[in-house]
Amino acid sequence: MKNPNYVSLSCIGIILASLAFPLLVNAQSNPSLSDAEVASVAVAANQIDMSYADIAEAKSKNTKVLKFAQTMKRDHAAVIEQASALVKKLGVTPKDNAVSKKLLADAAQTKKTLNDKSGKVFDKAYIDNEVSYHKAVINTVQTLLIPDTDNAELKQLLQNVLPALKAHLGHAEMLQKNVVQ
Amino acid sequence: MKGFSYRWYGYIFLELIIFLALFNAPGTRKRGKDLSAPRVYTVEISGMKFNPAALVVHQGDKVMFVNHDLVVHDVTEAAKKSWTSSPLGVGKSWSLNVQQSAVYYCSIHPVMRGSITVK
Ligand SMILES: [Cu+2]
Repeated sequence: MKNPNYVSLSCIGIILASLAFPLLVNAQSNPSLSDAEVASVAVAANQIDMSYADIAEAKSKNTKVLKFAQTMKRDHAAVIEQASALVKKLGVTPKDNAVSKKLLADAAQTKKTLNDKSGKVFDKAYIDNEVSYHKAVINTVQTLLIPDTDNAELKQLLQNVLPALKAHLGHAEMLQKNVVQ
Repeated sequence: MKGFSYRWYGYIFLELIIFLALFNAPGTRKRGKDLSAPRVYTVEISGMKFNPAALVVHQGDKVMFVNHDLVVHDVTEAAKKSWTSSPLGVGKSWSLNVQQSAVYYCSIHPVMRGSITVK
C-alpha cells in the first residue's frame, strides 16, 4: 500500500510545481492587483465605454451606430451595477492603481480624438475604437484581472462578463465590415 | 401472482380504450398521426447565447424564452422582423406560439442568433 501513496504524492508535487511556475512568471511581468484594485479597473473599463457611447449619441446620425451605442451604455451600466453591488456586499472599496489610471489617461486622449471628428468619419473612428477597445479589455480581464482576483464571487463575475464583451466585439466588427467602411 | 397479472391486463385494456378514444376525438383527429397536445419548449438565454440555439417543433407548439443573463436581450424574427419579444429584462420570460419556421436574433446584440424549424 505504500507505493501508490508515493506515486500520488509525487503527482501532487508535479501538479503544484507546474501551477506555481506560470504564476511566478506572471508575477514578475505584471504588477499584482488586490481585489479592491481589480474592482477599480473593472468599473473604470465599463465607465470608459459608456463615455465613448455618450459621444456617439451626441454625434452620430447612423441608426445602427446609435443602436450599438445604446447597447453599450445599457450593458456596461448593468455590469457596473452588479460589480458595485458585489463590492458593497464584500465590504471592498475600489482602489485606483497604475492600471486604472493608465486606462483613464488613454481614454481621455481617445475622447479628444473622437470629439474632433464628425459625420461618417466619426462613425468609422468610433466603431474602429470600439473594436480595439473591446479587444484590449477582453485581454486585460482574461490575463490580468481574473488571475489576480482572490475572491471567488468577484472572479465569477469577471468570468460572467466575458461573453458580453465578446458579443460587443462581434457586434462592433459586424458594423466595421458592413456599416462604416 | 395470477391475480396481479389479471389486474395488469386490466390496466393495459383500460389504457387501450383511452388511447382509442383520444385518437378518434374530433379535435385531435386533424393533427393526423401526431397524438400529442401542443408542447412547451424552453430556450434559456445566458452567456450571450440562445440555448438550445436550434429547435425543431410542431406548428402550434410554444417556445418560452427565459433571460438568465446579466443584461437585457430581445428575441426578434430576423428576415422581416415579423415578431419580437421587445426588450426582455433579466429574469423575465416571453412565449412564442409557433406558426412557421423562423430564424431569430437579438436586435440588441445581433451576433446572438437561433432558429425554430416546424416539422
Ligand atoms: Cu442580446
